[in-house]
Amino acid sequence: MLFAPKPLREERVRVMHKHSHVNCFVPPHILKNIATQGTPAQKNLAIDTIKLTARMRGQRQALADFSAATFRVAAGGKDRVVYDAKNGSSLPGTVVRKEGDGPNADVAVNEAYDGSGVTYDLYNDVYQRNSIDANGMRLDSTVHYRRGYDNAFWDGEQMVYGDGDEDLPEDERLFNRFTIALDVIGHELTHGVTQFEAKLQYFQQPGALNESMSDVFGSLVKQYQLQQLASEADWIIGSGLLTANVNGVGIRSMKAPGTAYDDPVLGKDPQPGHMRDYVNTINDNGGVHINSGIPNRAFYVTAVELGGFAWEKAGQIWYVTLKDKLTATSKFQDCANLTYQVAGQLYGDGSIEQQAVKKGWAEVGLTVGGSEPPPTEPGGCLEALLRMVGAAPAKN
Amino acid sequence: MEVERIKFERSGGFAGMTIARDLKLDDLSDEQANTLLELLDDLDFQELPEQMTAKESMPDQFTYVITVETKKWKHTVVTGDASAPEKMQELLEFLNRLARRKKKH
Repeated sequence: MLFAPKPLREERVRVMHKHSHVNCFVPPHILKNIATQGTPAQKNLAIDTIKLTARMRGQRQALADFSAATFRVAAGGKDRVVYDAKNGSSLPGTVVRKEGDGPNADVAVNEAYDGSGVTYDLYNDVYQRNSIDANGMRLDSTVHYRRGYDNAFWDGEQMVYGDGDEDLPEDERLFNRFTIALDVIGHELTHGVTQFEAKLQYFQQPGALNESMSDVFGSLVKQYQLQQLASEADWIIGSGLLTANVNGVGIRSMKAPGTAYDDPVLGKDPQPGHMRDYVNTINDNGGVHINSGIPNRAFYVTAVELGGFAWEKAGQIWYVTLKDKLTATSKFQDCANLTYQVAGQLYGDGSIEQQAVKKGWAEVGLTVGGSEPPPTEPGGCLEALLRMVGAAPAKN
Repeated sequence: MEVERIKFERSGGFAGMTIARDLKLDDLSDEQANTLLELLDDLDFQELPEQMTAKESMPDQFTYVITVETKKWKHTVVTGDASAPEKMQELLEFLNRLARRKKKH
């Protein structure tokens, strides 16, 4: 630490904060100290200022790197802030609910708050990960972004949600507000996790893996909240997002990619569920939301094959792969190989968990671990006993 | 500015659905056409950089490709939700609305 600041009065920080909007009056190292050592209120103000300054300078990645070291929560707990863009496009907008505040009159605000809370809980309770950066990073969400914005996104720093087609006549609306679906919230937050871990490029196969990881953990957040077994879950991404005007159950199906919707206005769900149907396109960053159906289904098959809660074994294998194995340019075959490797490391080579992973990828046309089960100790106990007495050749 | 047509393509987004519209000014209501012309005029559309996308990826953002054709020039710009300059946001919102309404035939 450069210095140990005395507790600052909130008014003082607020003045600094205001000035920094104009000319970055407060040096970054002081803001950083306040962000790590101030009271919760000071911390929030300092973080807001750092973010705004970084935004003004276009230093998105600098901020991501910086936040890893800075935005930690002293108590190690979850720290959420929800902002309202009030139908404008300026981010993050006005603070409307902070950690510990009671429910708001605005349902989108509460959904963003509660949804990011459940997502935090899954990562923290199941994978022992403290927030997006594994270091207590504050979870910022903005609701009511623009007007008629039928989308949600992760901007490198925070989650952003639109209200769907609220500006159109009711009989023309296709999308509801995007906070309505808990898995959408888990999906967006997982983009943050990926940004801090595998850093998968958002293009073609690495991009589709990036998308698939978001769908996997988005779905797991929902299953975790509902305490559903893999066999009970619907494996639909964005359930509740489409209005009654649309013939569809959601945006994607992890169980049966390509079947989520088939509608005269929206068209048909274009997702493939097998490598033979891989879609080559320049749209959508090379089809990142299309070809993600392939790894999505591999996860689904693995999870159902294993039974029980999907976040436990299948989720653990995918999480460790995302955290420790995948890189920016990983492709589907790499992910298949690495999940297989991780399953072996976590549960043993030839374990039922590893075999389930192999089956998952085989179902989508990708082979891992050769065509036969991987070699295990030949003969097991008997072989070992024979070796001990010199009746079998020693292992190399 | 004698705008003849505007091509609008929106791809990506959480749902990964692409909307492409070829808007001819004659097909729009007077009010819509006037609003659009004003927005393009205020922006000096033909002076906008061709690429206004962020260096780092922004997952689930929309990517917009907008082409404006007049008798004298044709100009295409590519941009995204958060990477578009503030002054473009109104145009994006307006075109988005036209395109989404057009989904319903």
